[in-house]
Amino acid sequence: MKIVRESLPDVVFVDLKMPGVSGFEVIEKINLLDPTIVTIVITGYATVNSAVEAMKKGAYDFLPKPFTPEELRLITQRGLEKRRLVQETIALRREKEMLREHFAAIVSHELKSPLGAIQQNLFGLEAELSSKLTESQKTLFERMKCRIADLLKLIHTWLRVILVDIKKIKESFAPVTVTTLISKAVESIQPHATRKEVEILISYEEPLGLVDGDEGTLVAALVNIVSNAVKYSRLGGKVLIKAKQEENSILISVTDTGVGISEEDLPYIFGDFYAGKPGPAAERGSGLGLAITRRIVEAHNGSISVESEVGRGSAFAIRLPALKSSVHNQPSLGAETYSDSH
Amino acid sequence: MSQQKKLLIIDDDPDFVEGLKSILVAAKYSVDAAHNPKDGFQALQSKHYDLLLLDIMMGRGAEGIMLARKLNKDPKLREIPVLIITGIREQIAFLFPGQAVHPHFMPIDELVEKPVEPKLLLDKVSELLQRAQARKAQVK
Ligand SMILES: Nc1ncnc2c1ncn2[C@@H]1O[C@H](COP(=O)(O)OP(=O)(O)OP(=O)(O)O)[C@@H](O)[C@H]1O
Ligand SMILES: [Mg+2]
Repeated sequence: MKIVRESLPDVVFVDLKMPGVSGFEVIEKINLLDPTIVTIVITGYATVNSAVEAMKKGAYDFLPKPFTPEELRLITQRGLEKRRLVQETIALRREKEMLREHFAAIVSHELKSPLGAIQQNLFGLEAELSSKLTESQKTLFERMKCRIADLLKLIHTWLRVILVDIKKIKESFAPVTVTTLISKAVESIQPHATRKEVEILISYEEPLGLVDGDEGTLVAALVNIVSNAVKYSRLGGKVLIKAKQEENSILISVTDTGVGISEEDLPYIFGDFYAGKPGPAAERGSGLGLAITRRIVEAHNGSISVESEVGRGSAFAIRLPALKSSVHNQPSLGAETYSDSH
Repeated sequence: MSQQKKLLIIDDDPDFVEGLKSILVAAKYSVDAAHNPKDGFQALQSKHYDLLLLDIMMGRGAEGIMLARKLNKDPKLREIPVLIITGIREQIAFLFPGQAVHPHFMPIDELVEKPVEPKLLLDKVSELLQRAQARKAQVK
């Protein structure tokens, strides 16, 4: 084992029958040290059982004694090849992770900067020409500025999805009250709802416990759902937000009487960049809202579901685990549920 | 304003600089530009400027921040108001963990996001210039 630890070889041949130690143990230890090292078992008593056992412990292949040099050469070659492939796969995976991590930076520089420069020059050109432009020329400028601004906004949203680092969210979990989440979310949607004459109704079923989570992102998740409900409602529609506790989870539902979602669209709406038909007031989004929402909810060990009927409306439900200590009148939950909410 | 104000832009994207410059020139400011922190620092040392417009992400990283810190250590240059112009307002929180989105590394500074609309730009510039002037008057 000492030699293996110091030289980290590509292939190790292990005799199952060695004085003092069991070959299985050695295989296990090598596997623990570096799982990419290929171990090949050499043994005099090649029974099926011991072979299976060795493979289970992480051995790559099996060579029964006695063997010809040709056999040894072949198996060694295959072992080396195997290690190379494993290492390549790992390197590829690492590269992909790196790319993902740096994607935000790449996108921000490669797309945002040139677009920003274009927009800035457009602003400059318009400022220089301001006294000479005709109405129709001004409209042309407006159109260009608008489209570029949309594009920049899209890139921002896109960056936000990538930057939502699920692990980071988990570090800042703290008990939050569901009513706070809902009122903060509604507060930010209210102007949009007022403009569309959509009424937002809220009803709580007490007692309502706490959830363990990150307030900022949970509010963002709710904002997405509620803003969809408003966006895909008709003028004068109603949106109902309900919250209640069910045993050890908290259920938040958002129901609207809007345009609904077709059966074909339904399975895809939680995916990245999936946008269905434009809303009733031709409001169009980037199709990211629900994808972000799902990620946030799942990071909180929760789930999100939807029911909808075209023309009648949709109902989204978010289920989050309730903080156990916050439930006072819950019988028969078992003692261990108290201890795992640290 | 009695005299034409002199502004310096330090930003490594020449195309962006030109767009910015044309707005400021149209508003009757005198504008110089440097396309890297080193040239920018030299310009600041050799000539008097009333305001600095500074990009954060230049070269291999947040070199704009480094320059701002360097200016802050210089007893004369630290008097120049700085308007930060950045394309990465959201990421600044990541670059300066534990600090507010708006990092106060200069005594008087403002931050705007790229691209910046002419009206906002001109408002911020004149606001910073006025504040600097008021401060100078106080000291005297
Ligand atoms: N309450 C709803 N009623 C009807 N359709 C909905 C509702 N919520 C979502 N949808 C459909 O699901 C699609 C995906 O929603 P999602 O919120 O992800 O994207 P979006 O609203 O189009 O864009 P944004 O990224 O701006 O939120 C929408 O385009 C819409 O077709
Ligand atoms: Mg949406």
